[in-house]
Amino acid sequence: MKSIQLLALSALILLFSACKDDELEAQTFGTFEVEFDNRVGSEAISLEEAGSQNYSYTTASGQAFNLSLFGYYISKIKLEGPNGELYEDEMKVSPHADEVKGFYQVLQSEPASRFIQLENVPAGTYHRITFTVGIADEGIQDGAAGGILDPAEGAWFWNWNAGYIGIAMEGSAQNSGQEEVVGDGWTIPAKSFALHVGGWKDVPAATGEEQRFVNNVKTISLAFDSGVRVGEALEPNAHIVVDVLKLLGNVDFSTTYSVHVPKAGQPFAENIPAAFILDHTHQ
Amino acid sequence: MKTAQKYAHLALSWVCIGMLFSCHEDQDIGLDNTYQFIRPAHFPEPVYTFENNPVTKKGFELGKKLFFDPILSRDGSVSCNNCHIQGTAFADAQQHPLSVGVEDRRGTRNAPSLTNLAFMKEFFWDGGVTHLDFTPTNAIESEVEMDESLANVVKKLKAEAAYPPLFKEAFDIEEITSPYMLQALSQYLAMMVSADSKYDQYVKGEAFSKEELEGLALFEDKCSACHAGVLFSDFTYRNNGLSDTFPDEGRARITEFAGDIGKFRVPSLRNVALTAPYMHNARFKTLQEVLDHYDTGVVDSPTLDPLLKKRERGLGIALSEDEKTKIIAFLHTLTDRTFISDTRFMNR
Repeated sequence: MKSIQLLALSALILLFSACKDDELEAQTFGTFEVEFDNRVGSEAISLEEAGSQNYSYTTASGQAFNLSLFGYYISKIKLEGPNGELYEDEMKVSPHADEVKGFYQVLQSEPASRFIQLENVPAGTYHRITFTVGIADEGIQDGAAGGILDPAEGAWFWNWNAGYIGIAMEGSAQNSGQEEVVGDGWTIPAKSFALHVGGWKDVPAATGEEQRFVNNVKTISLAFDSGVRVGEALEPNAHIVVDVLKLLGNVDFSTTYSVHVPKAGQPFAENIPAAFILDHTHQ
Repeated sequence: MKTAQKYAHLALSWVCIGMLFSCHEDQDIGLDNTYQFIRPAHFPEPVYTFENNPVTKKGFELGKKLFFDPILSRDGSVSCNNCHIQGTAFADAQQHPLSVGVEDRRGTRNAPSLTNLAFMKEFFWDGGVTHLDFTPTNAIESEVEMDESLANVVKKLKAEAAYPPLFKEAFDIEEITSPYMLQALSQYLAMMVSADSKYDQYVKGEAFSKEELEGLALFEDKCSACHAGVLFSDFTYRNNGLSDTFPDEGRARITEFAGDIGKFRVPSLRNVALTAPYMHNARFKTLQEVLDHYDTGVVDSPTLDPLLKKRERGLGIALSEDEKTKIIAFLHTLTDRTFISDTRFMNR
C-alpha cells in the first residue's frame, strides 16, 4: 500500500513540475541583449521622407541615394558556448499577438526594435550567435499569425506568393529609373526605389533541371571575439552592425528599382552574410 | 484503516486528474458533431492545421457570417459568396466566367470550386498560397476583387456592433485581429467536404449503371494519370495545351522557372458537372468542349505536358464520341447533392 501511495505522490510531483517547467532545476539564468546597429558604410542612417531627392549616401559604384524605409525580420536566435552551453530562443506562431515568440522585426524607424532582449538564458559562457534573416517555412505553414506577423498590423506579407518579405529597403536614387505612378489613393514617387527581398520555398532542383523557387532566407552565424558570460547580475550584449552598402552591393538603380519577387531579390539576399557583422560584445 | 487508505488514494487520484486539466486552458469544444471536421473514411488525412485552429460551432458560424458579408470589400458590394456559390459547389455562377469584383471589375481567372480544401497543400490556379488561412487575403486585397486592405477590414469589423461579441464567443478575444478573422473563415472553408456523390456511394458498394461503369474505366485509362485519387487531382501543375502564348504565365509566376510557363494546377473534378465554365481562363462552356479539346484541340508549346504527346499522330488524348459520352456520364457521378444542399453552409 505504501508503495502505491509513494507512486501517487511522485505522480503528483511530476505533474507539478510539468506545469512549472524548469523552476525546480538548480540552473540559474540571465539575460542577453542583441543590438542591431543599421549603418550605410560608416555613416548612421537618417531616414528621409519617401520621394525626397536629398541624397545622403553613395553606393560602392558611386550612385547617390537615400533611404525612407529600412528593416528586416530576425528569427531563430541561438547562442552557443564552448562547453556545450546552448540557448535557443523559443519559436511560436499563434493568432494571439502575445503568444507569438521568436520573431522580431527590426525597423530603422522604431529605435526600440533594434534591441532584442533574450530572457532566461542559462548561465554560462557563450562565444557564438546564430540567427535567421527573414522568415522560413515554420513562420508560414502554421497559418494565420498575430502580432509582429499580422499583415493588418504592418507585417510585410506577400499575398500572391504567400510569405514574408525578409528585408525591405526603400528610398530614392539620383539615377533611379522609376517614373511617377499615381494609383487609386497611392503614389510611387519618381526616382524612388523599393527593394523587397522575400521567398522562402526551399525546393532542390530536379536532376537536369533549373532551380524552381528562390529561397532568400539566410542563416547568419557570428563568432564573438571572446567568451561572453551570462549570469544573474550580468547584462551582456552583442552589437551587430548591418551595413546597407553591403546589402545593396553593386546595384544599378537605373534598372533595379522595383524588386517584388524572390528571384529579383536574390542578389541582395546573397549579400546578407557579408552585411551582418559582429562589431563587438559588452560584458 | 483500509477503507481510510482507499479514500485517501481516491482523493489523491482526483487531485492528480484535476492537475492534469489545470495544465490546459479550458476550451469550449462544441460537442455537437455537426461542427467537427470528420475525415471521410476513403479520403486521405487532411493537411489543414486543425491543431492550431480546431473547428467549433461558434468559429464556424462566425466564418460563415464573414463569408457572406460584403463588409470585406472596399465599397460593401462584394462578399466571398459573390464568386463562390453553394449551388455550384462554391464555384462562380456560370454567367461569370471570370470573377466580377468591385465596380464590376473583371478578374483574370475563373473562380475555383471550394471543395475539400482541408486536403490541399496549395491554393489558386498557380499554387502561390501554401496555407488555407492565407487564401481570403488575396480576394480581399486584389484590386479587381474586393479592393480592400486587411487592416481596414479589421477596423470595420471592430466598428460593426455585431462582430466583437461573436469573436469573443468564438475565440475568447477582447479585440478583433486579422489572424482570428482568417481562422474563422478557415473553419467554415475547411468543413466544405464533398464526399457523398454517387461515385462515393459506388466506392462504398452501391451500383453504377453500365454507362457509368464504362465511363469510369475510360476515365481511369485516359484521365486519371492527372486527375488521380479520391480527390481527382494529383495537385501538380501542367500545361494542357490551351494555347502557345501565355499572357497569364500560371505556375511560372510562383516558381520563376521558364519550364513552368503556361502550367496551371490540375483541378479536382469533384462536382465538375456543376462548375462550368472550365480551365483557368474559362475557355470551355461544357464538359463536351473540354473533352473535344483533349481529343482534337491541344496546341503544342515548349511546356506542353508529356502525357499529351503520347499519341502516334497528333497531340492530346484520343477519344471517340461514344467514349466522351461515357466519360461525361461518369463525371456526373461526382456531383454531390448532399454537399450543395448542406444547410450548415447556408446563409440563414
